Amino acid sequence: MKYWIILWQVVLVGGLLLFGAMAVWVTIGGFFDIKKLFRRIAERHQREP
Amino acid sequence: MDSTAEILSKTNFSTVDWVIVICYPLISVLLGLIARKYIASMKDFVTAGQSLGTALGVATLTGTELGLITVMYMAEKGFKGGFAAFHIALAAGVVTLFVGLSGFLIYRLRAMEVLTIPEFYERRFGRKTRILGGLMMAFGGILNMGLFLKVGSMFIVGVTGLSAESWALPAVMIFLLSLVLIYTVLGGMVSVVLADYVQFVVLSFGLLITTVIAVNRLGWNHIFATIDQFMGAKGFDPTVAEGEFGVEYIVWMGFLGLIGCAVWPTSVARALAAESPQTVKRQFTFGAVSYLIRWLIPQFWGICAFVFIMTHDAQLKGLFFPETAGVEPFDARYAMPIFLGRILPPVLLGVISAGMVAAFMSTHDSYLLCWSTVLTQDVVAPMFGGHLSTRARILLSRTLIVVIGLYVLWWGLFYRGTEDVWDYMAVTGAIYFTGAFAVLAGGLYWKRASSTGAVLALLAGCTALLGLTPVQGLFGVTIPSARVGLVSIGATIAAMVFGSLLFPDRTGKGEQVLAARGPS
Repeated sequence: MKYWIILWQVVLVGGLLLFGAMAVWVTIGGFFDIKKLFRRIAERHQREP
Repeated sequence: MDSTAEILSKTNFSTVDWVIVICYPLISVLLGLIARKYIASMKDFVTAGQSLGTALGVATLTGTELGLITVMYMAEKGFKGGFAAFHIALAAGVVTLFVGLSGFLIYRLRAMEVLTIPEFYERRFGRKTRILGGLMMAFGGILNMGLFLKVGSMFIVGVTGLSAESWALPAVMIFLLSLVLIYTVLGGMVSVVLADYVQFVVLSFGLLITTVIAVNRLGWNHIFATIDQFMGAKGFDPTVAEGEFGVEYIVWMGFLGLIGCAVWPTSVARALAAESPQTVKRQFTFGAVSYLIRWLIPQFWGICAFVFIMTHDAQLKGLFFPETAGVEPFDARYAMPIFLGRILPPVLLGVISAGMVAAFMSTHDSYLLCWSTVLTQDVVAPMFGGHLSTRARILLSRTLIVVIGLYVLWWGLFYRGTEDVWDYMAVTGAIYFTGAFAVLAGGLYWKRASSTGAVLALLAGCTALLGLTPVQGLFGVTIPSARVGLVSIGATIAAMVFGSLLFPDRTGKGEQVLAARGPS
């Protein structure tokens, strides 16, 4: 059972740290992706009215 | 006020929190209005013009799949199964990483530039398979989301201390459903993507902060010691037969991890909306962390709720684990929201609850959009031979969104199954995804897969219905849902293989499609 406890502790702490780093990256990168998304759709509408 | 109502009404949820929760969804409605001017074609409505970058793709993937329903059903698993429930999250993370690195299924689907999975069915197996596949997908999927509204609303009712009030649950259900319907009908996928992004930002930081507060309040070692004290080995080891899970269940969860990311239509919709097949692989590789966390943290909250109830509040312990014979225990799904209502401070509680409402809405909008467009694009439109106008398709999709929304309200109020919410969802989803897995894998990787094999595999998915407790009641049998699911997978694969070998296609379509797909 000790093995399982250590495994779940590693999974939980490791997962939280990874997710924290990813949350920062997605928050910043996603903002710029939204700007790009609107620009692309608008450009396509101009090309294909 | 009776004693039960008095116990359940204890919460830190204040007037400020109510204001935050009510105002927050209005932002999503505003986003729907803003996004509306970007909707000019069905492609814009369904896949946001196939223009999603990696970060936004991860945000929307997480936003969709980290719904309030997810938080609730995984908290229930953690509450009942302890740390052993973590195997479900770990399996999902590992399998999603595998899919992201290998591109299994999703790369080839995106490379074919189809808008939906049934569209792939048509290209590979013909129109009849597309219509049947669309119907099976919509049937399983709509049944699957039948409890979303009720269980999501239970969070709001639990965290606000209203769980003893009989009027509260239906009132919250109607309020939330109305909001979701308004902005999903307005904006399609563009508004869904924007709402998902906002939800990701609010909820991801909310999840992390709440977890830190919970650990700080209960104590890291105390949490593990309490699970050990009350559950023993079965609270940590998922292979223990007399626990909540067992080996059969673990295998079933591994398969569900694969399905959840590579076959489930709302996940695949994100893959198909990506700007390139390479972006899809990156999206799923990074998304593996989200797929792990979206189940891990709620399970941990469920565990913390158990620890809190067992060691910090004797009144709640008496409600959830009554010692008097014949007294029904209180619904375990309320444990986590009640726990959050007790430990989080005002304002933060409002922000977390608002984030949960956003999670609820982002899941609902994606699912409503997904099932309505499947019925429109893959069932109704093919019946018209492709002669349905864009305007008619969008109108039909929007009408179906409202109809499905009303069904979800009705089903949530009247379904009487006794299984865990997660097991209900796995079984209803299996009606579609067991057949879909066989058809996708066969269609994308096996030249000899035939349309007859595909149809038989899709129909074989109906065997999963036997996993529902009301259906088992009709036949007078009791079979674990995991076993039913695994048998169903075997049946669909066998149907695909034998159907294809016995009734091969003569068109050579399989070779043409496989020759045209990408390398992964």
